[in-house]
Amino acid sequence: MADHYGGDSESDDDNFNPAPADMSDDENNAEGSSPQASRRAADYDQDDDEEEEEQAPKRATKRPRIEHDEDGEGEEEEEDDEEGGGGHDDDDEDEEDEEDEEDEEDEDDVQQRHRRKRRKEPGAAFFDIEAEVEDEDEAEDDEKDGEEIEDFIDNAHPDDIADSSRMNDDRRHRELDRRREMESSLDAEKQAEILRERYGKRAPARGHGDMAVVPRRLLLPSVDDPGIWAVRCKEGKEREVVFSIMRRVEERLGTKDELPIISAFERGGTTSVMKGYIYVEARRQNDIMLGLEGVLNVYPRTKMHLVEIKDMPDLLRVTKTPSLEPGAWVRLKRPAKHAGDLAQVLDVTENGLEARVRFIPRLDYGVRDDASSLTADGKRKRPGVPGPRPPQRLFSEAEARKRHGRHVVGNPQTNSWQYMGEEFENGFQVKDIKIQQLEVKDVNPSLEEVTKFAGGSEDGTENLDLKALAASLKESSANVVPGDMISVYEGEQSGVIGTAVNVRGDIVTLRVTEGDLKGQMIEVPNRGLRKFFKIGDHVKVIGGSRFRDEVGMVVKTDGDSVTLFTDQANTEITVFCKDLRKASDIGGQGSLGQYSLLDLVQLDPTTVGCIVKVDRESVVVLDQHGENRQVTPSQITNKLPKRRTAVAADRTGAEVKLDDVVREYGGQQRQGKIIHIHRSFLFLHSNDSNDNAGVFVTRASNVSTVAAKGGRINSSSGPDLSAMNPALKRNPAENTRMAPPKNFGPDRAINQTVTIRRGGYKGLLGIVKDTTDTHARVELHTKGKIITVPKADLAFKDKVTGRPIDPYTRGGRGGGYAGASGGRGGSSGSWAGGRTPVAARSGERTPAWGAPKSDARQPAWSRGDPSGGRTPAPAWGDNSGNRTVNPYDGSRTSYGGATSYGGATAYGSRTPAWSSGAKTPAYDGFGHGSKTPAYGGGSGDAWGSKTPAYGVSAPTPAASGNDAWGYTPGPSGGSGAFDAPTPGAGLGAPTPGALNAPTPGAYSAPTPGAISAPTPAAWSGGWGAEAAPTPAVSAPTPGAGTGYYGAPTPAAYAETPGDGRYEDD
Amino acid sequence: MAENYVAPNQQRYLRACMVCSIVMTLQRFRENGCPNCEEFLHLQGSTDQIESCTSQVFEGLITLADPTKSWVAKWQRLDGYVRGVYATKVSGQLPDDVRTTIEEEYRIQYIPRDGSVTEAD
Repeated sequence: MADHYGGDSESDDDNFNPAPADMSDDENNAEGSSPQASRRAADYDQDDDEEEEEQAPKRATKRPRIEHDEDGEGEEEEEDDEEGGGGHDDDDEDEEDEEDEEDEEDEDDVQQRHRRKRRKEPGAAFFDIEAEVEDEDEAEDDEKDGEEIEDFIDNAHPDDIADSSRMNDDRRHRELDRRREMESSLDAEKQAEILRERYGKRAPARGHGDMAVVPRRLLLPSVDDPGIWAVRCKEGKEREVVFSIMRRVEERLGTKDELPIISAFERGGTTSVMKGYIYVEARRQNDIMLGLEGVLNVYPRTKMHLVEIKDMPDLLRVTKTPSLEPGAWVRLKRPAKHAGDLAQVLDVTENGLEARVRFIPRLDYGVRDDASSLTADGKRKRPGVPGPRPPQRLFSEAEARKRHGRHVVGNPQTNSWQYMGEEFENGFQVKDIKIQQLEVKDVNPSLEEVTKFAGGSEDGTENLDLKALAASLKESSANVVPGDMISVYEGEQSGVIGTAVNVRGDIVTLRVTEGDLKGQMIEVPNRGLRKFFKIGDHVKVIGGSRFRDEVGMVVKTDGDSVTLFTDQANTEITVFCKDLRKASDIGGQGSLGQYSLLDLVQLDPTTVGCIVKVDRESVVVLDQHGENRQVTPSQITNKLPKRRTAVAADRTGAEVKLDDVVREYGGQQRQGKIIHIHRSFLFLHSNDSNDNAGVFVTRASNVSTVAAKGGRINSSSGPDLSAMNPALKRNPAENTRMAPPKNFGPDRAINQTVTIRRGGYKGLLGIVKDTTDTHARVELHTKGKIITVPKADLAFKDKVTGRPIDPYTRGGRGGGYAGASGGRGGSSGSWAGGRTPVAARSGERTPAWGAPKSDARQPAWSRGDPSGGRTPAPAWGDNSGNRTVNPYDGSRTSYGGATSYGGATAYGSRTPAWSSGAKTPAYDGFGHGSKTPAYGGGSGDAWGSKTPAYGVSAPTPAASGNDAWGYTPGPSGGSGAFDAPTPGAGLGAPTPGALNAPTPGAYSAPTPGAISAPTPAAWSGGWGAEAAPTPAVSAPTPGAGTGYYGAPTPAAYAETPGDGRYEDD
Repeated sequence: MAENYVAPNQQRYLRACMVCSIVMTLQRFRENGCPNCEEFLHLQGSTDQIESCTSQVFEGLITLADPTKSWVAKWQRLDGYVRGVYATKVSGQLPDDVRTTIEEEYRIQYIPRDGSVTEAD
């Protein structure tokens, strides 16, 4: 400080004559003079400050009188000023002076005069020049200044007017300079001493005196006060900026470029709305620009705006932090681990700056220390290390000893411990915390949180003190709403009872309903009111206590507290009347906090449960294992929202969704509607039972769908699960309705040689190793690597010839042939190939068939060729009735030859039979007649292999083994046919090729169906019968694929029956 | 010249005088006392006195470069004080004995700076 005093005298004077300067400022402002002028005046009147002060009060007194009628205060101010200016001797008179203002004024005048005289000793003339020079230096508008000062002096010292104003100036300057000289001759120490003596005591006294006497409204800013600009700064750096400005101010003090900033302040803070700004007081905006140039974290170039004068006081508004009382609830801001946690104040230090609080510790007892982030000493985690914070749990000595035994010191009797430098009492952590680290406003402790504190006793019982809690929540007095019955218990109107009709702020207007004032409207302050309930009123607890939402009947009232008999529990409870409201509804609560009945909640990471009962402070939860648990809301991790899209698969693999009705399979066969799906667990609700609110839990795999919501057909919605299930796929019996090729056997594409037509592997050759519906896994020849390619991108090639093939159609054929091919050997995929064997066969048959047949067929074949599907049909002639017809007409003739075959006894017999069937003969001759022998003959070797293929030809064997029609099917279906054909049948899939159609037909359907159904068909309709057989064939049909099978099948069967018939004959 | 600047790393040691609201480090209070209130608070060299008469809990810093001209200073009743950094609000209460002394011996009306004085208007 000393050097401060000893510094440049001008600035010192500024500092240590604050009162005068200030007052003059004030004054000048009041008079409308420019601030600069006033400032100069102040500087320049160093020696004359007393005078100024004396003047100042005068004006000050006048102003308040006129404007505010505040004589007393105005006077006070004035006197203070005078006193300050006048010297210490006056201090003591302050009080007395106030009483007689007039006298005072007179006295003042006297004093003034006196002082003036004392001072106004003429100085040496030569000082004049210097003074004038200084004047020039400083003055921007000399003239005006001079005038003002003249005015000044004129007003103040009428007696001295004799001197010219110029003279006065000169004198003053001379005086000033002399004084400066003198001061500079003293050493700083001494100077300081003097100054302190002179002003030291006074300054604070004055300051405080001012505070006491000048009401703030007189200090409201005016247009003459400097402006305040809000300047954007970096959030959180407000304080630093303010200090930076301070530094800059001090650095430049007394230099040429003194900072033109008058003051700067911040109102930052994490919750403040004024954060991110500092406010700078200056004369001109440009001053701020210059002054803040280069200051870190503040951005004067962006978004600087002037604060309106009327808003200026608000910038500095200070609201008192509510004082803390022991027992009050607060929230912690620090330590970070506990941020936001509720704490209870145990004690507050005298100055109210620190509080001892207790809160529920969050300890991990070193569990996590092992896993991560040990500090060098391996003891404690670095503070501020982010990570999941441990849950709130009361301190457990046992747990603490597990890992940190030697850090635990304490007394089991009092249950107070020290652990890791923290204190714990009764399980709570107790800590002294500075109030800035506490959130004391808007704490709003929830009942749940408070309950934890209340439940701290050893036996775990909850001993919540209703009164304490109510006190902590008692912010508003009676929260009266219009319509409430209220009674006044305080003030003049005490005892009045009425109905609130209007509530405006703290004033409640009520219409008196009882007593002398009945019918009158009176206004009373909210504070003196309480709600009024009569015995027998039905009320509901609306808040503030743990009985919230209870509904009951008032049985007793006693001042503030009301006892009611609850509807639900039939118990008496006592609550404050302010927490009650007349209730229209009868008890019953479906929810506790955010949790309501039938909600799905997470209890711990692995457990979920469905709320089946809601109590006052707890809920009963049915967990996924079917167990009931009673939990408090605090034990619930969170509520799981209903996921409308959740699906599960029931035991048949059909998907089930929310609101589907399902039935348990086995067990109690309970049936219910799905209310929640959690993983594989279904929470079902049933109205059949009252247990657990009708909720039960079961595994999804243990239910079968009874009714899907919205009549959804399970198999058709979404992906066809059964189609994806290889097991199901392999079982053709399952697929009765659809018999697409792929349903039988393994994908024919497997083991085929393919080239890839698209993508990165385009052009590469490989072998299909495995397939799905859409994709194939292809082992590349080149890379020895297996890749997955969409089937659509594959081109199938013949292994040997490399010709492109279609594995599926071919498969179909293959089916046909496959059976056949066994015998025939590699039937190639091409039709030609296909034919070849036939040809071969025909070759076989040739003896029997003779040329004609093959001839006859050839055309058939050739015809068939073009149409992939049909081709086989013609090929097999026998198979496709309808189409065949034409070709066969031709061929039939030749079959006539076959007829000769008919010569075969069995056939012979048949032939007529066939003939009876219009077309039959054609077939007969065709297929069987001709073939039979072939078989007969060829049977040996070809047979085994062929038979299956001919499963179609099932008849053939039948025919051959004419004797037993019964078993014809047998053989056809049964014999070798079955084994081989099965695959063949799979091949049959290829049914597309009519060829195969027969095969499966032959084999699945025909056997049973053929005999019975076809028969009529064959017989009756002949070919018209096509239609008829079809049904019979229906079974085979699938195998057959579309249209074509119809024909063959019947044909085949037709035969069969025919044969049978003949036999019968 | 008095250095009122406080580096950010020292700012945690800041305290505010409960009487005049000047903000300085504990160290400076101890070494120099309160530049405005030393006369009656006698903070210099007395840590205890500093503890009881200054507060660590304050908000809204004001850099006062020119107390005589500043409206802010006037409004905050800082206009008689030295240049420096002040707080708009200082929490905490002056011990009763100190307060009595100030008011009776020095005839200063102590006005708490914790916001408990509401504005006249």
